[in-house]
Amino acid sequence: MATLELQGIRKSFGALEVLSSVDLELEDGGFLVLLGPSGCGKSTLLSIIAGLEEASAGDILVGGRRVNEVFPKDRNIAMVFQSYALYPTMDVARNIGFGLEMRKVPGPERVEKVRAAADLLQIGHLLDRKPAQLSGGQRQRVAMGRAIVRDPDLFLFDEPLSNLDAKLRVQMRTEIKRLHDRLGTTVVYVTHDQVEAMTLGTKVAVMKEGVIQQLADPQTIYDRPANMFVAGFIGSPAMNFLDGTVETEGGPALVLTGDGQRVALDRAPAGQGARVIAGIRPEHFTLGEGSPVRLTGRIEVLEPTGPDTMVVLSVAGREITARLPPRIGLAPGAMIDLGVDRSAITFFNPETGTAL
Amino acid sequence: MIGELSETRYWMYLLLLPSLLLITAVVLYPTIYGIQMSFREMRLNRPDLGTGFVGLKHYQRMLNDPIFWLSLRNTAVWVTFAIILEFLIGLIAALALHRNLPGSRIFAVMILLPFFLPNVVAGHMWSLMLDPRLGVINDLLLKAGLIDSYRAWFADPATAMAAAILVEAWKSFPFFTLLILAGLKGIPTDLYKAASIDGAGPVAQLRLITLPMIKTIIAAAVILRVIGLVNSPDLLLVLTSGGPGRSTMVLSLFAFQTAYRDFNFGYASALSVVMFILLMIFAWIYIRLSRINQE
Amino acid sequence: MTSTLSRRRLLQTGAGVAGATALMPHWAMAQQAAINYWHTFTSQSEFSGLEAVMASFHASFPDIRVTQENIPNPEFMAKVTAAVVANSRPDVTMVASERFADLHAMGALIDLTDRLNSWDRRGDFDDARFASITDADGRIYGLPAFAFVPWMYYRKDWFDAEGLSAPTTYAEFEEAAIAVTDASQNRYGFSMRGGAGGQSFVIDVMESFGAPIVSNGEIGLNRDAAVEAVDWYAGLLTRHGAVPSSAPNDGFRQIMEAFQTGQTGMIWHHTGSFQDMASFLEPGVEFATAVMPAGPAARVARLGYAFNSLTSEANADAAWEWISYWGEPDAAVALLGATGYFPASSVAAADPRIAGDPLYAPASETLGFGGPPPSFPGYAGWSETSVMPLFQAVLIGQLTPEQAVDQMIDALEEAIR
Repeated sequence: MATLELQGIRKSFGALEVLSSVDLELEDGGFLVLLGPSGCGKSTLLSIIAGLEEASAGDILVGGRRVNEVFPKDRNIAMVFQSYALYPTMDVARNIGFGLEMRKVPGPERVEKVRAAADLLQIGHLLDRKPAQLSGGQRQRVAMGRAIVRDPDLFLFDEPLSNLDAKLRVQMRTEIKRLHDRLGTTVVYVTHDQVEAMTLGTKVAVMKEGVIQQLADPQTIYDRPANMFVAGFIGSPAMNFLDGTVETEGGPALVLTGDGQRVALDRAPAGQGARVIAGIRPEHFTLGEGSPVRLTGRIEVLEPTGPDTMVVLSVAGREITARLPPRIGLAPGAMIDLGVDRSAITFFNPETGTAL
Repeated sequence: MIGELSETRYWMYLLLLPSLLLITAVVLYPTIYGIQMSFREMRLNRPDLGTGFVGLKHYQRMLNDPIFWLSLRNTAVWVTFAIILEFLIGLIAALALHRNLPGSRIFAVMILLPFFLPNVVAGHMWSLMLDPRLGVINDLLLKAGLIDSYRAWFADPATAMAAAILVEAWKSFPFFTLLILAGLKGIPTDLYKAASIDGAGPVAQLRLITLPMIKTIIAAAVILRVIGLVNSPDLLLVLTSGGPGRSTMVLSLFAFQTAYRDFNFGYASALSVVMFILLMIFAWIYIRLSRINQE
Repeated sequence: MTSTLSRRRLLQTGAGVAGATALMPHWAMAQQAAINYWHTFTSQSEFSGLEAVMASFHASFPDIRVTQENIPNPEFMAKVTAAVVANSRPDVTMVASERFADLHAMGALIDLTDRLNSWDRRGDFDDARFASITDADGRIYGLPAFAFVPWMYYRKDWFDAEGLSAPTTYAEFEEAAIAVTDASQNRYGFSMRGGAGGQSFVIDVMESFGAPIVSNGEIGLNRDAAVEAVDWYAGLLTRHGAVPSSAPNDGFRQIMEAFQTGQTGMIWHHTGSFQDMASFLEPGVEFATAVMPAGPAARVARLGYAFNSLTSEANADAAWEWISYWGEPDAAVALLGATGYFPASSVAAADPRIAGDPLYAPASETLGFGGPPPSFPGYAGWSETSVMPLFQAVLIGQLTPEQAVDQMIDALEEAIR
């Protein structure tokens, strides 16, 4: 177990810069999720931590030790790949024990450790099978077994659940969380799935174009996104954005650019006449007249999901989604008033996209 | 009529008939013809002897023919060492090309060139390069201080076979390169990443990941090359004609000379049948040992 | 099935054309005819000779198109045999004397007796010229295009420096070979053909020592004389080091290069390489020619001929024009001019360019005593697959001359059994 520290990591392939100055710190036993769309550099960053790729600049410290020049095998890390990367010609036991075999761990000790890891992952009965004879979920467990058997300082996961079907993915997600709680090993986990990030991480780094947009605990990321990119990337359905102008006279309010609707606020996010973008999450809308803050819009589509009804409506020329209770008896085409939890509104600078 | 027939279970055999006929015509018939010729007198320049059935006469002659046994031994040496060299050079070349270093595309084409050369052309080229008077190889070795005078590589029984094997390896290693390279492309790079994290160095990765992953391809390539090496006499024909003495006489060359120098097609067919059987046995054992059909 | 059908049709067509020719020769020949010609010309000078003959033939017979194809000597018999077996024969094939027996036995050649008897230049040729293309019943299967007249070349400048003259006996030959050898200068007495094609010289040496392959119609070898011959001949390398050590693998190209580049002082070949030699060394100054030396029992020189033979009936008339054209003095002299190959026609041989050149004198002398090479079915195969490797084995010390000769005798019996 160890802390992880990255200082000013850069990576470029020729003229193309994929990582520009990444700094982060992860406490011992922490679970860091690198989250972002494909091409944001998260997998490259993971490879650099693993030592599979070299950073163009910056330092990597594991447990306070600079490991830039240390070979992957000597960094005492373990990695789980999206493809699982199981050795097709070896049986499960040898796959799991391969790292120990390479480190010349004596046979009996190896067998014992492999057995323990397999039991932990409930794959003890599969030890003499070849990877080709396993299901996706079983392969995933073998890949994790291979990682935990070595008792590494650092676990690296590279989109480990992407190749699984939806149900199995949820199941394995829980499994990983349980495993982390139990082993307490420091983890770096790469994913493009915000649900995985929210559920697993003690810390989430949202990345875009090689830059960390926000590094914080999941709730902070959700509640106080640092910019519009983070706000839009986290949460499903995504946060709604409305353009408007701040008014301070006659009580703070936001005048929507599209149709001039006036939304009363409890405080002005900016000076009189300033243009802002208001970000409102779908669940911060309520149905009915109880709220002092209202928005009027026309219903476009109704999407009942069971516990909720997603209502897509057009407000001030924009399409927004509201998460409302089920069985509300609305019909497309109708005009409705929605209440807004104004304490939950996040304002962004329309030029820079950063939160105000 | 056809409608009814197509409902019966014989229909599928009928559908197989054309390909069966084709196989019979191009594979089975010539093979059987060759086998039956080995039981006949068939000397083209001796029509007086006729072409009658002579039973096992040719096979009995073979048992007592010292040239046959010598050729058999030489064939074993020729095939074994040529295969080992071709495989090793081919593997190294494939691994190098697989790294996608700058210029490797041009190298890939260049490395394949020897394979496109007809054996006869390659043979003449090398016999010039190894020539005891004008050969550039002698010149290079002399300048490098490895030999102290020009040597006649094909005139000395101690070096003739080795020189011929080197030429053969030069000629055919691209075959291994090509197939192994195709195999390497099919190995996911994640495996090497996982292995290097697991602590496997380059040698262990080659031994425990690469080679097992391309085992089937290697096995197929070896079988194909062994068949080629056993059956084609042309390179040795050009380089040494089996000489000096009979130190590079191999079975294919012996059968060739028996057929086209002595015009004894009966005995030549018997030699070919024996080569055929030896190859079948080799392939069977080899496939067994390499267990390529188990996965 | 198809091949026999088409062959029959071709034969019928051929017969039809022949009939038509008798009636209306000009009309028949006005039809464009294409024939192909397989030959073993290899060197540049040989090719220019062939081209010269083809050009003058084309001027005389513009309606016959000749396609020539070079079949290297080592592949010749295999290719022709395959063509005969598959019935895809060329129209005209060059047949060297020693190949007649095998090719005739496998039915590759077509009888030309009648055509020859009615040919107006038949009188230009001695009957003896046809001896090695005539079967036991007196049928003739080819027309000699040129003669292989064996002789030797020697480095006149080296010999002059050593005070030597051209050797006339094997003893003198050996002495001269040893005398001009200087291994430290990479200089050797003799370009021995110990590789491909060298078998005929081994057989000649054996006959020179009194072990002819055929004597009085009997095939066999006098063991003691043959052993002595092999011992003497191989001894040039093994005992005296008067031959380059590459000899066991030296074929035609290698021995020629050795002589032409000044590695060796003597070489046995035939007149056909004269112009080639002259392009490297100055005739009469750097090199000269001599009659083959005499052995203890006989002086042997094989007068071989390259015959042109009809191997397909398909275009027999056009093919005959091509075959007989080689007997024209113009063609023979054109070939000699390019290569040195001696004409088989007595009329052509009297040409002043030949009769008046002292360097050709040894060739004329050889014509006086030379005889035909041995010829019987199996001879060519035996000499190539037994004599050659067994002699090589003596050269490289794997066999003693006695062992080698014993195996040659066994193989000979096997070949003619």
